[in-house]
Amino acid sequence: MSITSKRASVDKRRNLSVGSFILLALGAFVFLFPFYYMLIGSLQTSPDTSVGGAFPEPGNITGENYVNINGSINLFKGLVNSGIFTGGVILATVVFGLLVGYALAQMQFRGRGVVFAMMLLVQMIPFQLLLIPLYVMIVRDYGLGDNYLGMILPFAINSTAVFVFRQYFMQLPSTLFEAARIDGASELRILWQVAIPLVRPAIVTAILLTFIGPWNEFLWPFLVTKDQSLQPLAVSLANYISNIAATASNPFGAILAGACVLAAPAVALFIFFQRQFISTNLGSSVKG
Amino acid sequence: MSLRSASGASRRDGAVPPTGPEAGAPPSAGKQPAGRKTLRRRPGRPEIKQKFRPLGKQPLGLLFSAPYVIFILGVLAYPLGYAVWISFHQFYFTAPGVQVDRPFVGIANYITVLSDPVVRRSFLNILVFMVINVPLTVGLSLILANALNRITRLKTFFRVSYYVPYVTASVAVIGVWLFLFQQNGLINSLLGVLAPNPSWLVNSWLAMPTVALYVTWKQLGFFILLYLAALQNIPEELYESASVDGGNKWVQFWNITVPGVRSASVLVTLLATITGANLFTEPYLLTGGGGPDGASSSPVFLMYQKGILQGNPDVAAALGVVLVLGVLVIALIQNRLVGGRSGEE
Amino acid sequence: MKRTTSSVRIISMAAIAVLGAGLAACGGGGGGNASAALTAKGPIKIWYSNNEFEVKWGKEMVAAWNAAHPDEKVDAQEIPAGKSSEETIGAAITAGNTPCLVFNTAPVAVPQFQKQGGLVALDSFPDGAQYIKDRTGDLADQYKSADGKLYQLPWKSNPVVLFYNKDLFAKAGLDPANPKLGTESELLDTARTLVKSGAAQKAIWPSPAGDYFQSWFDFYPFYAANTKGTQLIKDGKATFDDDQGKQVASMFATLYKENLASKEVYQGDSFAEGKSAMALAGPWAIASYKDKVNWGSVPIPGTEKQDKSYTFSDAKNVGLYSSCKNQATAWEVLKFATSKDEDGKLLSETGQMPMRKDLPATYAAYFTANPLYKDFADQASRTVEVPNVTNSVQIWQTFRDAWNKSVIFANQSIDDAFKGAADKINQLAAQK
Repeated sequence: MSITSKRASVDKRRNLSVGSFILLALGAFVFLFPFYYMLIGSLQTSPDTSVGGAFPEPGNITGENYVNINGSINLFKGLVNSGIFTGGVILATVVFGLLVGYALAQMQFRGRGVVFAMMLLVQMIPFQLLLIPLYVMIVRDYGLGDNYLGMILPFAINSTAVFVFRQYFMQLPSTLFEAARIDGASELRILWQVAIPLVRPAIVTAILLTFIGPWNEFLWPFLVTKDQSLQPLAVSLANYISNIAATASNPFGAILAGACVLAAPAVALFIFFQRQFISTNLGSSVKG
Repeated sequence: MSLRSASGASRRDGAVPPTGPEAGAPPSAGKQPAGRKTLRRRPGRPEIKQKFRPLGKQPLGLLFSAPYVIFILGVLAYPLGYAVWISFHQFYFTAPGVQVDRPFVGIANYITVLSDPVVRRSFLNILVFMVINVPLTVGLSLILANALNRITRLKTFFRVSYYVPYVTASVAVIGVWLFLFQQNGLINSLLGVLAPNPSWLVNSWLAMPTVALYVTWKQLGFFILLYLAALQNIPEELYESASVDGGNKWVQFWNITVPGVRSASVLVTLLATITGANLFTEPYLLTGGGGPDGASSSPVFLMYQKGILQGNPDVAAALGVVLVLGVLVIALIQNRLVGGRSGEE
Repeated sequence: MKRTTSSVRIISMAAIAVLGAGLAACGGGGGGNASAALTAKGPIKIWYSNNEFEVKWGKEMVAAWNAAHPDEKVDAQEIPAGKSSEETIGAAITAGNTPCLVFNTAPVAVPQFQKQGGLVALDSFPDGAQYIKDRTGDLADQYKSADGKLYQLPWKSNPVVLFYNKDLFAKAGLDPANPKLGTESELLDTARTLVKSGAAQKAIWPSPAGDYFQSWFDFYPFYAANTKGTQLIKDGKATFDDDQGKQVASMFATLYKENLASKEVYQGDSFAEGKSAMALAGPWAIASYKDKVNWGSVPIPGTEKQDKSYTFSDAKNVGLYSSCKNQATAWEVLKFATSKDEDGKLLSETGQMPMRKDLPATYAAYFTANPLYKDFADQASRTVEVPNVTNSVQIWQTFRDAWNKSVIFANQSIDDAFKGAADKINQLAAQK
């Protein structure tokens, strides 16, 4: 390829990016606006549903909704519990999910189809169907009420994440693994040294996907933990939201403030993790 | 390899955009699974001499799958089996030690469920939901991810802004949407005389589309991430040589991007379908319990209502089983349509 | 080839389901010794509502009990109010880990909990029936289950009345001191004036959501007033499919048709924020409206003017749960928590009405000091509860669905909807 044509293509791509940019800006507006509205709402003394309510108005701004939350629930303890709950789920999902995802994509063994079918089926089952039998089993049979493990267990390995892993491992050329096997590398070594470095985006995707479930889940941890010192943030906030309506000076603002508090760590985590997308250079390393 | 395949793709530029999944697949994307398959199926040299392996070529795969299988059997199989068992009996949950008669009733619960007009309406509702939500999700997330992949500035900002709705708890975002979409809300103020009457969420025709729009908006960030990661797998050279050959951006998009992320599309379609089938929070909170007049109720919402609120887990379990089977069928059909061979073997 | 592998898969999935079902069928059994628990004493657990004022009362009550009974300590927790508390209790019953007492058991859920074997009949205690009769009087009969026993202690009520915003009434040119709200037709006229004058966005804003319990805050108080205290079901038959029920329905249908009420759910409190000029609520609301609205209240109007009107009780009761090991202690705690002293504290701290006979006389000093609450105390003696019948939640859901279809969204005539709902409810109530 000549240098001139390469430069031309770069120029062309830059032209394209203007259109993309406008598209993205439009999208970002649509996506951020309700969230922005939520942030503004959480800072209002009294809710303003008019068009003017979308703009900050000095007389109607207060931090009181946040102060109230801090006063009525133990934010730090809730965060720690949420961290343990979510962290446990992510850890189990990544460790065991990578193993099974790799096996499903690049290994041939008897029963692979069954495992794959199970993984698909599990995702299709609505949680409400399993709720009470699951609760009875975890609390009565396994004795895991008021226990982090009981909280984590039903979510432990996220099947969607397993699916994501499998899908990414499938994209890798199997010749890569055949070659490594012929070289005598063990499967675990192949997984660790060849496969995993190539599917970093999949791991980030799976973490972000898995994170949301336990982080925002409130019904299950509430059922399992009657002990308030074990309750994750989502549960304490849901409690706060459900009983604040009658007493807060601005119930709607209180709800929005609660949601902002819950969302903030998740957004921070995402900002931290999303760099992983940029740093991977998958295309060249595999195809080259 | 990449150069050759790229020119192969660009040669088709003048032709009609490919319609079938096979037609548009550039060799680079289609090759690996195909190559793997031929390797496996061909009675090649190593296989002929191979000794009989009852557990497959890499029996270690069983060990790798073991924790997951144990997890499913130990945590999910029992409640699922229990639910299936319940659906064939007259059943309600009792305190430990309380003995009650739980006669086998055959498919009576299934008849109750399927003859209930409210239930049938709810299945129709999620069908409407999926028809709007799934194509919209797949299309928008691919277009936005593609755009995101091309720009250089403000990447982080855009990624974060698309992801924010996804991480935010539904309770709060729904509150904001109610404000935006209510009779005197911001959207109707902007639309002026074009505002629908009755308003969005209390209009029998618009309630479900509005819910579908909301879910698309809420989930899109995650699907963009899926596509974004998949786009990294398309070699840059493909685009470069395509533009040398004079392909415009739409042709590139159709001939390189779309086929290149096909396995991600399978994933997105399937996940969007499953999300739609399990729709619960939105009819519960956004439309005040499946309103207006049941126009936005969903099977899972009815399961919750019947099984947990009203104490009829037998009927609810039957509804759940019907739903799971329905999703299974839809997923299989989709896999044939979108995925071709890349989903399952 | 392909076909065989997929059928193998289906078979193995089925095998997993069957395996699970087999395990499930083997479950159950066990359980405690019912009669021994009835007389056992020792530490117990209780749950109370997480409403700020009730938490305060609950903590003080528990502290007072624990100080006097070091061997029978009470361990108290909050339960989430609102939508998820019934499912929490329901799941806990199945798992056998309910606390001994729940100070917020909804009467509508009692038949279901009882059917599940989750509740202890309070008549099992030697002084049980007598204690409840002495405390609550005849009103307690509404809480008896089909077998004639009491599985709940009638604790406190929040009789629903019509609140109105005096400032908005004045703005609309209506007399805020003597509002014309004596009958249903007066209410309609007043509502029209309120909205047409532009004083209020909506005259009244009951939640139009489809939850089964929403009918307690639109239809049921008016129906109680109209019929002088008839329950939704009487002697196993639905009562609402009559002229009095349809009068209430057509009044609400008019409110919705003329946009005097909203078909949309309001986020927050429409009355406190001045979006609606009237609201249906109980005395608990006084504390939250105190600083926001210049309000007045009138009894729920019937078709004709009446002196002693009835309304819905919105009661919350106490259940004693069968998983409790030390039920004798639980019963003593229950009596302690509903004693005259504790009821007085509950009244003064939460503004809710303990279900005692002669309430105004018993706490005369309080009502003299807090005249706002006095009408509620009087009203509390004329309240209607949800009927204590099997399938009660499903019955209310059936009614609510018919109401939303005909009254709010006008997709069916009220006659047809009420007829259909009544037929279905008769069937549901007849089931065992």
